[in-house]
Amino acid sequence: MLPAGGFYAVFFVVPMLCLLVLSFWRAKGFELIPDFTLDNYRKIFTSPLYRVLMLRTIGVAFVTTLIVVPVAFTLSYMMRFVFARRGQLILQIVLLSLFSGYLVRIYAWRTILGKQGLLNSTLQWLGLVDQPLEFLIYSNIAVVITLSGLLLPLAVLPLYSAMLNVSRDYLEASRDLGASWVYTLRTVLVPMALPGLRTAFAFAFLLSAGDFVTPALVGGSQSMLIGNIIADQFRGIGSNWPLGAAMAFVVVAIMLFAYLAAVNIIRWVTRW
Amino acid sequence: MDDRLKVFLDAKLNADVSRRRFLQGAAGLSTLTVLGATSQSYAADGKLGGELNFLGWDGEHGGNVAKPFLEQNNIKMNASFQSAADEALTRLNTGGRGAMDILTPNKDFQTAILKAGTELFQPLDLARIPTASGLFPAFKDAPWLVKDGKTYGIPIIWGDEPCVFNPKKWDAMPAKYTDFADPKYKGELVLLDDPFGNIWLWAKSLDMPEPNRLTEEQLQQVLDAMLKSKPNVVTIGASHGDMADVLVRGDASIGIGGWAYQVMIAKEKGVELVVGSPSVDGTFYWSDSYALAVDAPNVDNAYGFIDFMTKPESNAALAAELASGCTVEAAYDLMPEDIRSMFPYDNVRQPGGGILGTQIVVPPQEPDGDVVGAPSWVEAWQTFKAS
Repeated sequence: MLPAGGFYAVFFVVPMLCLLVLSFWRAKGFELIPDFTLDNYRKIFTSPLYRVLMLRTIGVAFVTTLIVVPVAFTLSYMMRFVFARRGQLILQIVLLSLFSGYLVRIYAWRTILGKQGLLNSTLQWLGLVDQPLEFLIYSNIAVVITLSGLLLPLAVLPLYSAMLNVSRDYLEASRDLGASWVYTLRTVLVPMALPGLRTAFAFAFLLSAGDFVTPALVGGSQSMLIGNIIADQFRGIGSNWPLGAAMAFVVVAIMLFAYLAAVNIIRWVTRW
Repeated sequence: MDDRLKVFLDAKLNADVSRRRFLQGAAGLSTLTVLGATSQSYAADGKLGGELNFLGWDGEHGGNVAKPFLEQNNIKMNASFQSAADEALTRLNTGGRGAMDILTPNKDFQTAILKAGTELFQPLDLARIPTASGLFPAFKDAPWLVKDGKTYGIPIIWGDEPCVFNPKKWDAMPAKYTDFADPKYKGELVLLDDPFGNIWLWAKSLDMPEPNRLTEEQLQQVLDAMLKSKPNVVTIGASHGDMADVLVRGDASIGIGGWAYQVMIAKEKGVELVVGSPSVDGTFYWSDSYALAVDAPNVDNAYGFIDFMTKPESNAALAAELASGCTVEAAYDLMPEDIRSMFPYDNVRQPGGGILGTQIVVPPQEPDGDVVGAPSWVEAWQTFKAS
């Protein structure tokens, strides 16, 4: 544990503490002024701009998670119980996309979703639409679709791993005792796969809430998330590191609260 | 040479690239051939050799161009690249003092630093850069590089940020940026993610007396005017490369605050784009310079490097690599015609910085009386993006 703890302390705890201290400082021109002011936090909680972006970020993250986790769960279930012999092969195929770069994958989605992209061209060729569906790109929908595509492999990994520890016998026993499929899912499969489910949820929710590259590239002119604002505070003329640090902490706190709430809701549902 | 350069740049189109990042690795350029004959050994005086630390925009370290100079003088360049204009200052303030030699600030950043009196650059001894006498008149006494009679940078490249548009959709750009609010531009505009450039352009369009010095009320007026155009904006490009990609894909037909080189990129993709800024408002200009960091540990190497890179052959090669305007007068004739013709050189043939000298885009860092500071501009831009 000591090496892991040391690594965690040096590369996570110490930087986070530095960031926390910085969040109470002030920026004056190009200089950082050591201080203990709550002005940065006050500004975050009183600014309508940040409130809107925070809510939008939580919304996009939740919708993305609500797509990614059920799809990953279904896929993992099929890999484990329906196509068990081909499970590893399917896993490799799912993970294949991780071999390409993050930016490359985002641009690939832009190619698929663009006005003259693969999806719109196909729909027009099939005669299903007359004009390109413009909401498919440069919108919140595009952000959700792209994030879902990016995060799905990451969610499959812990879920499939968790399901490997679920014996088929438990599911069959439940069904033999007369439980419906939904009841078996809720009271047997989900509780047993809960560690994987929790990790998948964390990957999907926290990573999508913190992403700022995807909204910048496919989000268009009205899909900026809080991550974009935080990034702006750390670069270029007019940047404000202390404000950015405070924003980062507020976002971490809100997202952790939302994550813990969601995990507890899942746990409650399984015991209900 | 040009074909190989274009192919390379084209291949980079789908990466997240800034203007400068397009260029690194264009190793096939014939610049080495040109420079091979002109490179002299600066080691003759026994001062050069060892290390040279570069922190600046990608490509401006002259990976190909400076190679003969570095090799002949046994200099090992440690190049690292910035992703934001203020990265050198951050590095200086976080333990980097005494570890940086050459920096490449842009005009706006250097203006802000010198005005604020912030310690980052050291004055240059021009006697040690004799090639600087060959700069275009506008760059010889560039006001953004001079403070208290001391010069703090040698310009290396320059350019402007015009509108780039699809001529199949539009004959010309409107007279003013505020005209982009017309509903006929709906779904046609892509802007660069640049708070200062965009706010400055709209402030100029609203005939603000000093577009870089706005009061809170004026800034709100500018924001209101910009928001009228917002429904017509498809997306905000993360970089010039990203913006070009949006235009090439046909997701938008007009790029505001673009780069002339986007025309060449699009041509390689079989898409025709042309340059043409609003006739009344025009656009703004930028320039990057070589500067010497305060407490630079390898001053002799740095001077040798700057002097070598300011030779006409070096400057032409670097400007061609970076698809930008050259800053040395004799380099003009050495530039490839397609790149040379992209920039209005009349602007830099005038003394006193020309339009680059009089045009200040960046606001003050801190509020100055009623005039708001740069953070307010950033917040206004964020409001625009979030609306």
